[in-house]
Amino acid sequence: MLELKNLTKTFYQKVDKVVVNNLSLKVKKGEVFGFLGLNGAGKTTTVKMIVGLLFPDKGSITISKDDHLSLAAKQRIGYMPESPQFYQHLTVAEVLRFAGQLYDLELAQIDAKIPLLLQQVGLAGQENLLARQMSKGMHQRLAFAVALINDPELLILDEPLDGLDPLGRLDFKKLINSLKKQGKTVFFSTHILSDVEEICDQVAILDQGKIIRQGTPKELIGRGKKSLEEVFVEMVSEVKK
Amino acid sequence: MTPSYWQKIGVIALNTFRETVRDKLLYSLIAFAGLVIAASLLAGSVSLGQDVRVINDFGLTAMLVFLLIITLFVGTQLVFREIERKTIYLALTKPISRDQFYLGKYLGLCLTILVAAVMMAVLFLGVLYFKTKGVSVSAVWAIGFLVLEAWLLTAVGLLFSSFASPISSAVYTFCLALIGHSSTSIWTIAQKSPVALKGILEFVYYVFPNLEKFNLRNEVVFNFRPDAVQVIAVLGYFLGYTLVVLFLGGLIFRRDEF
Repeated sequence: MLELKNLTKTFYQKVDKVVVNNLSLKVKKGEVFGFLGLNGAGKTTTVKMIVGLLFPDKGSITISKDDHLSLAAKQRIGYMPESPQFYQHLTVAEVLRFAGQLYDLELAQIDAKIPLLLQQVGLAGQENLLARQMSKGMHQRLAFAVALINDPELLILDEPLDGLDPLGRLDFKKLINSLKKQGKTVFFSTHILSDVEEICDQVAILDQGKIIRQGTPKELIGRGKKSLEEVFVEMVSEVKK
Repeated sequence: MTPSYWQKIGVIALNTFRETVRDKLLYSLIAFAGLVIAASLLAGSVSLGQDVRVINDFGLTAMLVFLLIITLFVGTQLVFREIERKTIYLALTKPISRDQFYLGKYLGLCLTILVAAVMMAVLFLGVLYFKTKGVSVSAVWAIGFLVLEAWLLTAVGLLFSSFASPISSAVYTFCLALIGHSSTSIWTIAQKSPVALKGILEFVYYVFPNLEKFNLRNEVVFNFRPDAVQVIAVLGYFLGYTLVVLFLGGLIFRRDEF
């Protein structure tokens, strides 16, 4: 479904910094893929390259064999950014209509979807709320609804559970699980390990722009009685040595 | 280009329009322009037998200044604000090209300028009607040309804002507007200058927009109406210059990273 090949990105500043370093990975259809790493590991940069906000210096990204920048590929994905922001003057319904129209959906089709989507993300009845009146958690929920507006095959979620209260986190995890049951592919970046353990089929651990380990949560934990958190800390510490 | 290609540009344009018309700054500017235009009645009343001329000069100049201010303050900030607030993610991650987004932004701004110009024009023509008991067709032409000038400057402002900060973009656009209105003088000086300076001034004359082509303000008092040839020439100049500027801005925007 999603394939990254030898992806490299350098930020040219006073001191050039290779943020993503020759990264390759494959996400299979119907898989929930956790992209794990400390702050600054290169997760958001990778996600931004996948959705076309940044351009890789080297390497390729394909979505169902289409180049990720092609309209056909973009038509298949839904994206939720880290700390999402919306046009302050738009209401919840207007944001969803705006996003839906960019996917070529008819207004009637979008309007029919809105109550259902808002129900799914826990914003039922908030159609007329202005974006500027919303809390951070509500922004997260609206961003999830925007990511689902086109019924995407592939969901790309950047730190989706960040900034949510415990109830919100639980709702989102249930939602991701229900999307998985519908056969959707989910690629999400996070640094919260308990979330990964609960909902991911595959996990890749990223450090300094490189994948240092990949496998199922069980494979990563191994036969020991360690938690994924302990394994993660061990791996990152080893690399730093 | 399929209908959907233009529909998406329309979606971006309408959203841009909605964003700007819900901005209090725009209304403040239009209200202030309205006050200045209304004040032309007062200025006209104290001039001896030149009241219509004064109202025309005052009103049309006020419209030019306020349309320029709208272009500088709204136009040059728009893309920057989208990037700063990260709202640009909402559109650019969808199946839409960077060109469509850029063009949509431009057209949305043009629509905002048109609406602002219509609001000011209604007031200005109303003041003129109150004084002359008639509608000046030449004033309507002058306003139409003013709108074209503002649209051209909007394209320039967007181009600057695709690589410079809002303040720098506004300063560059303002300087370009000043140079553009001095085109005739620049040409005259060039013809009387030494060869090296002549080359530079002629370069400035040809590269910078000749905004005097859009200036019918002085002719309004003589009831001047442009003929078809002049209208086609001005429209052609506007389209040619604006398309080149939009193309250059689009090229830069295509490679921008967010």
